Amino acid sequence: MGWIDYAYWIALLPLIGFVLELFIGKYTWKQGGIFANLTILGSTIISIGTLIEVLGGARIDVSVPWFYQGIVVGYMIDPLAIVMLCMVSFVSLMIHIYALGYMEEDPDKSLYFAETSLFTCGMLGLVLSNNLLQLFIFWELVGLCSYLLIGFWWYKPEAAAAGKKAFLTTRVGDVLFLLGIILLYYNVSHLPEPLTFQYIFSLEVLEAIPPTHLTAIALLFLGGAVGKSSQFPLHVWIPDAMEGPTTVSALIHAATMVTAGIYLVARTYPIFIASPGALVIVAVLGGFTALFAATLGLVVNDIKRVLAYSTISQLGYMLCMLGVGSIIGAFAVGYSLFHLISHAFFKALLFLCSGVVLHGLADTRDLREMGGLLSRMPITAIAMLIGALSLSGFPLTAGFFSKDRIIETAYEYGVATGDYLPWIFILLAALLTAIYTFRLWFMAFTGEPRSYLAEHAHEGSKIMTAPLIVLAAFALGFGILQSRFYEFVGANFDTHLIGELAHLGGYHLHHGGEVPLIIMILPAICAIGGIAIAAGIWYNNRVDLSRYISKSNPIYRLLWNKYYLDYIFKDLIAERLFGFVALLAEAFDRCIIDGIVNGISRAIIAIGSGLKRIQTGVVETYATAVVIGVVILILLIGGVL
Amino acid sequence: MVPLEWFLILSAILFSIGAYGIMIERNGLKVLMCLEILLNSANINLAAFSRENLMGQEFALFSIAIAAAEVAVGLALLIMLFRYMDTIDLEKFDLLRW
Amino acid sequence: MAGPITWILLVLLVGAIITFLTRTLQQARIVALISSGIALLISILMYLGYESGAGMQFRESVMWIPSLGIGYNVGVDGLGLPMVILATLISFLCVIYAWGEEHRANQFFALVLLMDMALVGVFASLDFFLFYIFWELTLIPMFFLIGVWGGPRKDYSAIKFLIYTHVASLAMLLAIFAMYYFNGKMTGTYTFDMIYLLDAYSRGMVPISPYWINLIIGGMLFGFLVKMPAVPFHTWLPDAHVEAPTVGSILLAAVLLKMGGYGLFRVIIPLMANPDASTRFVLVIAVFGVVSILFSTFVALAQKDLKKLVAYSSIGHMGYVSLGVAGAVAFGTSDIPRILANTGAMYQMFSHGIITAVLFGSVGVIQHATGTRIIEDLGGLTKHMPKLAFIMLAGFLASLGLPGMSGFVAEFSILTGSFPQLPHFVLLAMFGIVFVAAYHLWAIQRALFGPYNEYLGDIHDIAIYELIPLAILVALIIVLGTPNPVCNHLYHGVMQPTATHILSILPEGGLL
Repeated sequence: MGWIDYAYWIALLPLIGFVLELFIGKYTWKQGGIFANLTILGSTIISIGTLIEVLGGARIDVSVPWFYQGIVVGYMIDPLAIVMLCMVSFVSLMIHIYALGYMEEDPDKSLYFAETSLFTCGMLGLVLSNNLLQLFIFWELVGLCSYLLIGFWWYKPEAAAAGKKAFLTTRVGDVLFLLGIILLYYNVSHLPEPLTFQYIFSLEVLEAIPPTHLTAIALLFLGGAVGKSSQFPLHVWIPDAMEGPTTVSALIHAATMVTAGIYLVARTYPIFIASPGALVIVAVLGGFTALFAATLGLVVNDIKRVLAYSTISQLGYMLCMLGVGSIIGAFAVGYSLFHLISHAFFKALLFLCSGVVLHGLADTRDLREMGGLLSRMPITAIAMLIGALSLSGFPLTAGFFSKDRIIETAYEYGVATGDYLPWIFILLAALLTAIYTFRLWFMAFTGEPRSYLAEHAHEGSKIMTAPLIVLAAFALGFGILQSRFYEFVGANFDTHLIGELAHLGGYHLHHGGEVPLIIMILPAICAIGGIAIAAGIWYNNRVDLSRYISKSNPIYRLLWNKYYLDYIFKDLIAERLFGFVALLAEAFDRCIIDGIVNGISRAIIAIGSGLKRIQTGVVETYATAVVIGVVILILLIGGVL
Repeated sequence: MVPLEWFLILSAILFSIGAYGIMIERNGLKVLMCLEILLNSANINLAAFSRENLMGQEFALFSIAIAAAEVAVGLALLIMLFRYMDTIDLEKFDLLRW
Repeated sequence: MAGPITWILLVLLVGAIITFLTRTLQQARIVALISSGIALLISILMYLGYESGAGMQFRESVMWIPSLGIGYNVGVDGLGLPMVILATLISFLCVIYAWGEEHRANQFFALVLLMDMALVGVFASLDFFLFYIFWELTLIPMFFLIGVWGGPRKDYSAIKFLIYTHVASLAMLLAIFAMYYFNGKMTGTYTFDMIYLLDAYSRGMVPISPYWINLIIGGMLFGFLVKMPAVPFHTWLPDAHVEAPTVGSILLAAVLLKMGGYGLFRVIIPLMANPDASTRFVLVIAVFGVVSILFSTFVALAQKDLKKLVAYSSIGHMGYVSLGVAGAVAFGTSDIPRILANTGAMYQMFSHGIITAVLFGSVGVIQHATGTRIIEDLGGLTKHMPKLAFIMLAGFLASLGLPGMSGFVAEFSILTGSFPQLPHFVLLAMFGIVFVAAYHLWAIQRALFGPYNEYLGDIHDIAIYELIPLAILVALIIVLGTPNPVCNHLYHGVMQPTATHILSILPEGGLL
């Protein structure tokens, strides 16, 4: 018996934390937070213990039956799962420690920690799941926690609306995902072994599914991932989700939950690689989102929203990696996951730093009201600089290694398939990333303070800065684990199996393509160039931006209005179109359907009031009627009529 | 012996007269009289058929007795109506219509 | 020695009479609590003693009117037993919930007990005559609950409810008489015995023309669809709910509607197995199901009254039951998804019963506290009613089908199980899921969150006697939606064998 046999406690401990925080958290140390932190610390310890065993070759897959044959619950540990578990529990622990300081003043602190505990439980459970149905359940659970935590300050109308928007937008993806599960069930339910939803993607199973169905399943799963991981066109919810506490943004909308979509695609990678055409769409969609979100990040002035767009963009990289991975097979998962994890470190770091900034500036999020914070909060500024460098892919940071590998693979993909589109997208996105990230950093931390609040900003407390330092260390140094990581996670799927599946899907795997030196250093050039451009504009003020930032500039207007997608989705489709349909249905219900019902009753009443006129009250009339009746009766009996 | 048909024809004629009277007469007294005619047409029938045994005639006697009681009740009703409404025109008594 | 079902009926009937005769609120509610509690206890004991997969159990059979073939036949299987428990459970919790009812308390609690008895009778009767008597008996307490304790338009709603459902029941009664008559004429055995008659008709042992068998199914189906209710026969429901007192609404939505769904399983599926029956009924039921789901969703989106919104959500959820039944009887190459759909539809009935009780219960609390149910007049209720907000949020999330709650298990089973047989219908139904979430969340956002509407004044949170039943139900919702022995036993041990048995009389592979 080792750690791995108790791995289910990784998810169960935070659940216990949730219950304790919810019911008795209020009456404990600092009015909440102790149970959440302790249980997640426990999860982190078990995760790391398990990681060591998995590195030594241990695997586990345990199921118990649930309500129907083939429907089980259970947990599974393999390299893909354990690296996610370690990342989620560790980042969550850091953010929980930080939250002890960040949420100190909040009256509903215990509720906050209960909800984040539940979220952590959900996210860890999602990763531990050994079947798709269970994954879906946790998938929705984290969605629920996201909804609750975005709306944590429920009395703010924007927060309540943002929570609803997040839930509904991801719900669109969830329905697609659910449909994918149902379609998969349709195709495997008649197979003899009861492994309906488990991740047993053997060649026999996938061969038995018709290719069109396989592609449909893969694309429906992708739909779920697009919703959860906030890819185009369902990305609209993340920027609004910044209405929640910053710790929530860091935990849910940057480091962990939004990566669930990527994890789903990685987890079901055998299906994707066996389905013709699916990965091409994944690659283009991911690449496009990376660029698309980066352009939006250039114009927003809300410090958290800049980070939100960068999250969308970076998730696009991960998805794109999985897509272009169709030429390298199983290792694509390793490359994508490496970026996922390094992103989790530096993005959590960036968000936590922005949280310190918010704390110091009385919740001002507008970059235009900051400036000159470097001298006022040095630790945060340096930590954020590290995060920004890593996000931009500055050489030798964690982000550099992970992003570089993606861009390189995209180039190889271009060479192999002639489709350079993903490569172009993500290369341009890399340049823009560096620009908007350092726009943020320069605007916030350098120059003169542009508001009263910025002049009187102060550094965060120790409990808040300590996690920053730890995360900054990871954001800087995680890159050294690169090759070890690739070997470990890349071997998650059987290379031979993936090869055969790729054959099934019509993809050709290449090995050891030569990449020219100039291509190899292009990402670094983009990063440094982007930083230089940003420095030129926002540090040295070489360019007068006011000429471009105006409502008469069509490009600026387009970006400022987020390509009008929010308007189309919310105002046109959700409110106008479906609002109209709803009103129509309501009117139909009230006037036509209920009208017919009431009409029938009115018609019967009308007939009755017509017929009652026969009742004249005059005896002779009745007598006449009686006589006529008798005569007719006699005639009938006599057989005359 | 008078043939049975003759009685029946007489009875039918009386019945028709009575029915006609009930249907068109407005005067309550006349309607009551028509009712008696109707009843007696039935009595004729009963008596006419009682050739083999006397049951029919017994029945007719019963009927006459009951008719007498009925007339007493009917006349009493009419007198009461006349006292309250000052008329025995039956078309005026339409309180029970719809 | 009388069996447990008779005991339940007797306890409730006697309890109703004693409650009616009591003088004070205190006496009335204590008698009601005790008798509904005993009924619940007996039904739980029955559940514990239920033998998985052994067909009808706890049977009692006494001749009542031998010359007409009418008997007192009762018994439950995996379909009836959960419904009996649902009826006794909801009634028991209703008694607690209504602890503060002061207006004509003795009559109020007596009617609740009478309702409980009639509902148990419906779900346990195995004789069509008895079944019909209990079926109609449910109308009387509900009529008075709406008509006496109802809102401003209570007369209109009560009469509409009574006449509408009564007309539908008459169609069902005619179908029952037709079954009785033809069976007697053709085979010489005049009997109302449900099992015997359904068996005879499902095997086609009564040689009647397809015209008559289809007419019989049509009549039965009309009776059940109105009760469920399916669009377009649903308009009595929102009216009744809007005017009904909260306890009336809870009983109506949580248990009374289930009579229609129960009929689909108990009567319609066996009748459709008749070789002469038209297979188009499968499509008819599926269309009614999907139209109910989609139409109710869009109408709910436009509602301003919280209670009406919840009423429409009930229609949608019962649409899932129809869809599941259609998916179960429709033709499919494999039996596994069909049984899944059928079991899921049964599970949906139980699950919807407990979920909707939470919804109506919390709406009732809001109305009690604020005096309004119009969503736009509410806002920020969490500020003064945090406990209610918690309960209501849980109920709404369960209602929108959140995994980890009982509704998801049921709806997932229905959708997954029906997909192979009726893919297009399932796609249409899934289209509605997003909008179901939309109107639930919209209502939550407007009522519970946002700034507090100060015009509502200083309101008090949910009372303890209201909180307890709702909290129990929320706990049950979660228990029935997560992997644990209770959920497994109800689904796998109780419902699934019966679902399999019901489908086994259909021709191999299903209809169509």
